[in-house]
Amino acid sequence: MFSGKQTKPTFKSYLPPLQTDVKRSPQLPIKKLEAKLLPGEIVVNEANFVKKCIGGETCQDDLWGKLVCTNFKVSFIAHNSLPQQRFQCAHRLLGEHDVPLACVEQAVTVNDAKGKQKVLGSNQKLKFNPTELILYCKDFRIIRFRFDEAGPESAKKVCLAIAHYSHPADPQLLFGFEYVGKRYHGSTGERVNGVDPGGGLQTPLFDCSSDWDREIKRTGASEWRVCTINQGYFISPSLPEFFVVPVSLADQDLKQYACYFNSQRIPLWCWNHPSGSALVRMSNNSDPQQQRKVEQRISSAITKSHPLRSDVFKSDLDKNLPNIQDIQAALLKLRQICVIEPFEESEEKWLSSLESSRWIEYVRTFLRHAVEVVYMLDSRHVSVILLEKEDRDLSCVISCLVQLMCDPHCRSLHGFQGLIQKEWVMAGHRFLDRCNHLKKNDREESPVFLLFLDCVWQLWNQYPAAFEFTEVYLTVLGDSMWLPIFSTFLFNCPRQRAEHSRDFAISKSIHLGQDQALRFPPVWDWSQQFSLKDQTLFNNPLYVGKIATCVQNGTVKTFTHRRSKKNYSSTLRGLPSALRNGSFSHHDTLTRRNSLVLRLRPDLSQTREQPESPSERFVRDWFSRPADLQGLLLPQLLPSHLSLWKLYFLRWVPEIQIPQGGPVTAFHKLSVLTDEIEMLQNQLRQYKGAGGTPNNTHVEHSKMYFKATSTPHQSHGPPEYLSSSFPFSPVGNLCRPGILGTPLRKFLNGAKIWLSTETLANETI
Amino acid sequence: MASAPIAPYSSSPLGNSSSQHTSRESLKMEPLAGFVSLPGEERIIDKDIIYMCPFNGALKGKVFITNYRLYFKSTDTETPVTLNVPLGVISRIEKMGGATSRGENSYGLDITCKDMRNLRFALKQEGHSRRDIFDILFKYAFPLSHGMQLFAFLSQEKYEENGWNVYEPMEEFRRQGLPNNEWRVTFINKSYELCDTYPTILVVPYKAPDEDLRRVGTFRSRCRIPVLSWFHKQNHAVITRCSQPLVGMSGKRNKDDERYLDLIREANGTTKLTIYDARPNVNAVANKATGGGYEGEDAYQNAELVFLDIHNIHVMRESLKKLKDIVYPNVEESHWLSSLESTHWLEHIKLVLSGAIQVADKVSSGYSVMVHCSDGWDRTAQLTSLSMLMLDSYYRTLRGFQVLLEKEWISFGHKFASRIGHGDKNHADQDRSPIFLQFIDCVWQMTKQFPTAFEFNERLLVVILDHLYSCRFGTFLYNCESARDSNDVRTKTVSLWSLINSDTSSYTNPFYTPESSRVLYPVASMRHLELWVNYYIRWNPRIQHQQQSPVEQRYKELLALRDQYLKKLEELQLTDSAPSSTHLTNSSTPNAATPNQHITHLQTPF
Repeated sequence: MFSGKQTKPTFKSYLPPLQTDVKRSPQLPIKKLEAKLLPGEIVVNEANFVKKCIGGETCQDDLWGKLVCTNFKVSFIAHNSLPQQRFQCAHRLLGEHDVPLACVEQAVTVNDAKGKQKVLGSNQKLKFNPTELILYCKDFRIIRFRFDEAGPESAKKVCLAIAHYSHPADPQLLFGFEYVGKRYHGSTGERVNGVDPGGGLQTPLFDCSSDWDREIKRTGASEWRVCTINQGYFISPSLPEFFVVPVSLADQDLKQYACYFNSQRIPLWCWNHPSGSALVRMSNNSDPQQQRKVEQRISSAITKSHPLRSDVFKSDLDKNLPNIQDIQAALLKLRQICVIEPFEESEEKWLSSLESSRWIEYVRTFLRHAVEVVYMLDSRHVSVILLEKEDRDLSCVISCLVQLMCDPHCRSLHGFQGLIQKEWVMAGHRFLDRCNHLKKNDREESPVFLLFLDCVWQLWNQYPAAFEFTEVYLTVLGDSMWLPIFSTFLFNCPRQRAEHSRDFAISKSIHLGQDQALRFPPVWDWSQQFSLKDQTLFNNPLYVGKIATCVQNGTVKTFTHRRSKKNYSSTLRGLPSALRNGSFSHHDTLTRRNSLVLRLRPDLSQTREQPESPSERFVRDWFSRPADLQGLLLPQLLPSHLSLWKLYFLRWVPEIQIPQGGPVTAFHKLSVLTDEIEMLQNQLRQYKGAGGTPNNTHVEHSKMYFKATSTPHQSHGPPEYLSSSFPFSPVGNLCRPGILGTPLRKFLNGAKIWLSTETLANETI
Repeated sequence: MASAPIAPYSSSPLGNSSSQHTSRESLKMEPLAGFVSLPGEERIIDKDIIYMCPFNGALKGKVFITNYRLYFKSTDTETPVTLNVPLGVISRIEKMGGATSRGENSYGLDITCKDMRNLRFALKQEGHSRRDIFDILFKYAFPLSHGMQLFAFLSQEKYEENGWNVYEPMEEFRRQGLPNNEWRVTFINKSYELCDTYPTILVVPYKAPDEDLRRVGTFRSRCRIPVLSWFHKQNHAVITRCSQPLVGMSGKRNKDDERYLDLIREANGTTKLTIYDARPNVNAVANKATGGGYEGEDAYQNAELVFLDIHNIHVMRESLKKLKDIVYPNVEESHWLSSLESTHWLEHIKLVLSGAIQVADKVSSGYSVMVHCSDGWDRTAQLTSLSMLMLDSYYRTLRGFQVLLEKEWISFGHKFASRIGHGDKNHADQDRSPIFLQFIDCVWQMTKQFPTAFEFNERLLVVILDHLYSCRFGTFLYNCESARDSNDVRTKTVSLWSLINSDTSSYTNPFYTPESSRVLYPVASMRHLELWVNYYIRWNPRIQHQQQSPVEQRYKELLALRDQYLKKLEELQLTDSAPSSTHLTNSSTPNAATPNQHITHLQTPF
């Protein structure tokens, strides 16, 4: 909404139009500033004459405006606009300067005259008048407001309101409830927010048995069935209503076994490898006595479901992977070095600081573990059980990574979203606790999902053409965790969602109509957040699933899902000749692999200290062939080949923004070329269809963000608004607070220059 | 040019264009599949040998040594491993083990290469096979130490393009808009009597007569007086380069030098000349002891002096050595980032780049600068050429980059022979240093940050570095132009640019978008600088080598696809008669242009 290209009517049409009448004020004539509110959103408190620090040494660029706290966000309505016209992806739920309350990690108030600062929690008192408010955000932004010209009381009140409302006491106080509840208010059940949850989405949510059935069919898991014993959540509180089990296990048995597992979590089927090996996740037994017996029964059932009756391999994740506290600690350190420490001072030790955060090391550990599992499934042809105490954190990461590496379907946009539905949302990852939306228990907070996204990014970074989506998509998906609106990230498990939605509806006497409970939109309903045009930023012009083999014998074929499915199931049986790319089929190399082992053994001791493990050999063998982007993909795990996800972690840092540079400039060219190709395809299709389709289809259906122009072809540089942070902008989103982290004395010396007449009048120094 | 030092696994950075010129008849010995010799290349010896591959273990095979390269092919058909190493790449050969050591493969050869790898071979004890091969390798790898010629003088390669024509100094100065009424061309050095390490054609302030230049020469180390490198057409600010002033312990002054610097400043009428001394402050001070030093504040009133803190050749050599330790043969896994940090390689890159950024920024804001270090042929060349790359988009083209190297590095006397040690057995020579490699690394960092700004691709940079050592081309031989002249390099050897310019499409970046007036400022932050893994870690077989970067590859595929569609569309239009074309031109939306229009617009010169 700040890019100045308002197009179609959106829900914003419901918002009060921005007032433009001019009000008189002693210093400057100011506009009447109103927060834009969403349905169900109310203003809690506000302060005028607030200054937002934009950054840089001087404060001449700082913005004046009104700071508003609502039950959803911290909004800053600027009186003047940013110094330059900057590009920004327009967000439908948030204005340019807005921060959702759920994204506020910490609100710190400062009085620089008194040299005081306080981290504000819920229901707290503030004994000094704040001159400054610093918001530390979960997405690594640090936003700073100054109250030099604001009334001290209103400044204090707005700070307290922000602190209070960012610590909701109950899940039902999360804004999503009001927002979604509003939809049912009023008349006829017409969707107020233009949301049609689930409907019209191509992403399977796995909340019904048909989605699971399709997944069973897609992966050829004929010896597996959908189990419905948990309907109504009567067996396990944390399992979904529908899940998949071996056909040889009867419902009766399962009910019996359930009590031996942590929170009655019966082992869950995730996915089948084309060879028939299954990937299964299981929580640890609560009773070690019974453990062996039940596990044996489960294992033998899994073996029965394997076409080769292969063994089952158990992979203990708790033993091999960092735990959720480790991951949280790593992210905190990473945040420290990325955005909090002064830039110049941290340059010299950047690499070792990065190492000591251990974030990339953990990313690598997870990827490596997933590769081990892939080796078992793909090379050893055995089924794998992922074992984790609760089966709700590490398993989600590993199970998804394995499927991403093995199954090209998961690298398509809808495949990927379905994967997250299946392995995170339905499997009961505790998003509410891990995001710490209620800020109740910091020990439960952990960025497991972000770590997963980083792992995906590493794969993406190494094989960008294998994924239908872009890194902007991954970044935006990570940010969406902090919008407490989506069914995806609001709850700890499907049952919790069902209960809260029902209770809320009852308590607010919402008439639900046909729905059984409030229906929250999933994050996959991207129109909630972005215009169709902006959503094209998610489409990867490099994606090979689409165009590479489109032209055969001079005829143009469009890519269908069928194709990817065919390729997928053919990973072991040799590729279609069109994709083989001159390399050997997998059959040849399988036999080669064995002979290689025998031959090398005796000589190895001379040059290698450690003998190569079979899985290492599997990896090395895979790397000796050209990668097939529609087949198995293994990440390069050498530490030299894993990097920091700069777009996510460093996008707000102004010092490292490369104007008109960065990978996005190549993306821009690719996007334009792909658009050109789409245009040509349409034209060719018209010839084929003898003028059947109208000529303007291109305009609406183009999947690319950057369009080919029909002006005469000439060389343009990258557009001026492109930068390495695109589509984000560090301007106003990162103000390192000079005060924090520097000795108080230094801060006091510097403080004088900040003193305004108002603070002098109100405070005794 | 199969030449390059390419491991079996590496994507050979070099496509082979010279294979056509191969004269198989010249080979007296058994032909070997996959081995293509260069015209003028002769086989000297072949032997059964065991290659102690650090990745695959011991591999039996055959080694062929020619006057140009060492070629190994494993006899094992299951994992065919080949090594193709120009002898110029070898910096050191040592015998390992022998009669007293035990084990099957005890008679070993250890070969240290200049391109970040080591090779180990084992030979049988019988028949003095190791002695034979050692002697021959030693002789042909270090021909200059044995009174023999470098291979570049024996090569009979022919190319369509003559790379020696790439750089014509007068033409380049004319391109910059020189001479003019501020700057003149002088031939004072036409037979190298002013300065034997400078080129013959120099550009100096218009108001400085040749006699003055000679007097300034007495006050500059090795007479490398300040001369113009680059001229900013709009604001007339210049980049000049030179060596340190001979101030010495006593703090000598030279009126001619002082006036000369003032003439440089005056040329575009600004108030201050900025002198960038590439060295750390303490090093500059220490140089006074050996007669050098820096421009004192009192003597040069209209100048400001900035030290850029870049370390000397010895520091860089040690840094690269440490880097090699952590990447070859195996990548240090447990503490990769802190190990990388402790090599300081990227930190040095950062200092060089940020120095060049300061130079470029100063010049583009209208102030003339002068750059020097001690002798003005190492760090100075890095700084001037990098800042010129930032300022002048011409140097970012394939041709312009060649001109830049010819001008700032080759003609201004970067001591390639000493820094690389071409054909010289003295591997521990303190003069060797990877200054040029460091510069190419900086260029690579820039291409990473601006993927559309350079006409050339990563492959060109790798090929340049490979032939920096290979001694197949005359381009990087000798220390300065006078030495090149007296050895008839231009007539007796082939230029590397002949190879490159005969096959430009292999070295072209498909994303290149010319932008004539843009100054590129890379971000010299550790957060952005990366280790160039495709160069430094390319010998590791665990790394998958694509022919090109996958993104580049994909883009080329898409370009081909577009052309295919365009052709198809054109065909359809030709065969199709009036009806469909009228249908198409009826289109009402401006975006959906007719095929006809597109065909005219969308043809790109790829």
